[in-house]
Amino acid sequence: MSKNLSKIVGLTVSLAVLILLVSPPAGAAKTEIRVLCFAQGFAWPELFGTSGVDETERLKQFEEKEGLDVRIEWGDETAIRQKVAADLAAATGRYDLILVGTDGGVQTYGYGGFLEPLDKYLEEYPTEYFDPRDFFPSFLDANRVEGTLYALPYYSFGAGVMYRKDIFDKYGLTPPKDADELYEVLEALKSGLRGDGITDVYPVTMRGAPGEEPTLDVAGFVYAWAGYPAWFEGGATTPDQIRDKKAMPIFTGDFAPGFSAFVEISQEYGPPGIATHTWVDMMNIYAMGKAVILMPSAINAYAALGVTEDENVKKYTRFAKIPTGPGGKQIQSFWTFSLGMNKDSRHKKEAWKVLSFLMGKESMQAFAERTQWPNVTMKSVLYSDVLVKRYGMEEIKLNEESILEAEPFYFPYIPELNEYMDRIGTATSEAIAKMKSVDQVLSGLQTWALETMLRGGYYK
Amino acid sequence: MLVLVCIVAFPTFFLFYASLHEWVLFKRGMPFIGFENFARVLTSSEFLQSLKVSVIYTFSTTSLTFILGLGLALILNKELKGRGIMRTLIALPLVIPPVVAGFAWKFALNREVGVIGAYMLPAVGFMRSLLADPSLALGSIIMADVWSKTSLMFLILLAGLQVVSPDLYEAARIDGASSWQLFSHVTFPLIKPAVIIALIIRFIDAFNVFDTIFVMTSGGPGTATQTFPLLGWKIGFLYFNLGEAAALAIIMLVMTIGVGIFLIRRIT
Repeated sequence: MSKNLSKIVGLTVSLAVLILLVSPPAGAAKTEIRVLCFAQGFAWPELFGTSGVDETERLKQFEEKEGLDVRIEWGDETAIRQKVAADLAAATGRYDLILVGTDGGVQTYGYGGFLEPLDKYLEEYPTEYFDPRDFFPSFLDANRVEGTLYALPYYSFGAGVMYRKDIFDKYGLTPPKDADELYEVLEALKSGLRGDGITDVYPVTMRGAPGEEPTLDVAGFVYAWAGYPAWFEGGATTPDQIRDKKAMPIFTGDFAPGFSAFVEISQEYGPPGIATHTWVDMMNIYAMGKAVILMPSAINAYAALGVTEDENVKKYTRFAKIPTGPGGKQIQSFWTFSLGMNKDSRHKKEAWKVLSFLMGKESMQAFAERTQWPNVTMKSVLYSDVLVKRYGMEEIKLNEESILEAEPFYFPYIPELNEYMDRIGTATSEAIAKMKSVDQVLSGLQTWALETMLRGGYYK
Repeated sequence: MLVLVCIVAFPTFFLFYASLHEWVLFKRGMPFIGFENFARVLTSSEFLQSLKVSVIYTFSTTSLTFILGLGLALILNKELKGRGIMRTLIALPLVIPPVVAGFAWKFALNREVGVIGAYMLPAVGFMRSLLADPSLALGSIIMADVWSKTSLMFLILLAGLQVVSPDLYEAARIDGASSWQLFSHVTFPLIKPAVIIALIIRFIDAFNVFDTIFVMTSGGPGTATQTFPLLGWKIGFLYFNLGEAAALAIIMLVMTIGVGIFLIRRIT
């Protein structure tokens, strides 16, 4: 009898445990939207807290209102980029919203058919979280591949010269407006600093690490020096244009002057370790007061202002518009931190709600208030009190002018972009480090690009 | 068995499968292309450069950590005052994650702001950038790896030394053996199994190292410190060419097995 009772009790307990394990938890009726992203604690702390794993009241209210459960997964930028690639390749549909930068991710996944086009959502499911007209058009355009919108931007950056006004004033300099003036200013800074016996402050800090990172800036120099995106003949920037015109790579042609200028400025006026410097290094060097100019990715100086303990850096840093090159165009550096929707997502309409909330006006305003960076994507936020008070109307207007004058398609939007980015960046690093001459690295790039495009069937 | 199939056999089989197909993320389909991925990888200039870097890096770090680890193990196997503390100190780098160690070295060697690179070396007249100079970057990374991994060799070899009976040394000394003879005829033959294990583990570890190099130089300047794992990572996750990345992984697997067999046969 007692044996039977034990069996019954045991069975009942086991069943109860099983039911508890398999039954959905309270509130599980909510649709779960998974987001995969980097910048934990930096992106959306007003929603996920400074740890990135909290759930703030603001987020709870949104979830309650929309009947959704937002789950975000974070990681280091490199790791997340890998995870995105691996997940999309495996077509699991696990993540509804994924990070896709405009430096290869949007292009690769857009052309590959991994991302859900967003234009129809903008039209058919208008959101209360932002007014699409509030976005600066260039930031949305940067997320379009052949006219189709594949992602929405969170923060962004455009080109600019961030400089130390106190040091400029000391040597009687004003921000350069063109390439000639840029060289004059750099030379004056170099000789001035040397003359004063200052050996650990450099005229300029840029980034020259191997890999894709510096290419956003190198390509900006190429655009300004050639006057067009000089990667392929005739400035072709899409696969169709390359195919139709049978446009050959021109890395030994019009690409060369801008590339050479970037390398020369890095070697002559940059810090000694520049051939391995990433944005973190250029930011740190500027923050520590060891560089007079940071360019062309101005955002890294705004980041430096947030971490610097150098009072002069805080007090005397100013923004100026980026100079134009000999080709008559401004040097570029343009990127957006964007989220796209996974084509394999099983909850696309719900994912759209989350996407528009994450990229919405409230989020952008919270970003501006927290970081005090003017690298925002919406005009209303750029002109919000917090930024105007921080930088003054004049500097805000300069920032807006830079955004409006920016050309997001200053490099080609082709499926192979990621590999191009990496190879150009690595070639830049090689040339800056004098492992090879500029001619040698560009010749190598030309050969590789030609083989790649031939193999890709562009010239059939 | 099922677990082994799931976590070992299937991924390995899939790696071979992927290596024989053109699998590029932005292209539709996954056509069979035979050994074309292998041919492309083996004939690329990047492969040859990475082979050179990998061989120098692996040989240097394996041999240096072995020599240092063995030396330290021999010293600290003796009855010394403070032996316990010294053993703990030497083993300490092993518990520091390679990424953390890499960042620490990167900042220390940084020519602009690093304690060593910006202050100590310039103070003695050395003005070059250790990490951005192609002729110095690989050596700097080797140094960081040796600092980090000598303790592993030390611990394995110390464990090997501790099983050697002191009676054997005493008997050899009575027979008039010199210190070198003691080492070459008593110690070394008896710790050979530990040496083989230490060398194989270290070789595999050094050959596959990614984190330290990635955080210190990202393979640069240029490709001056780009080893096979960094090349594989680039092909797979930057170029999105998963087929070629799989081919490179198989080439690395064959190399690792080949060297492992060589080490076992040569030493035993």
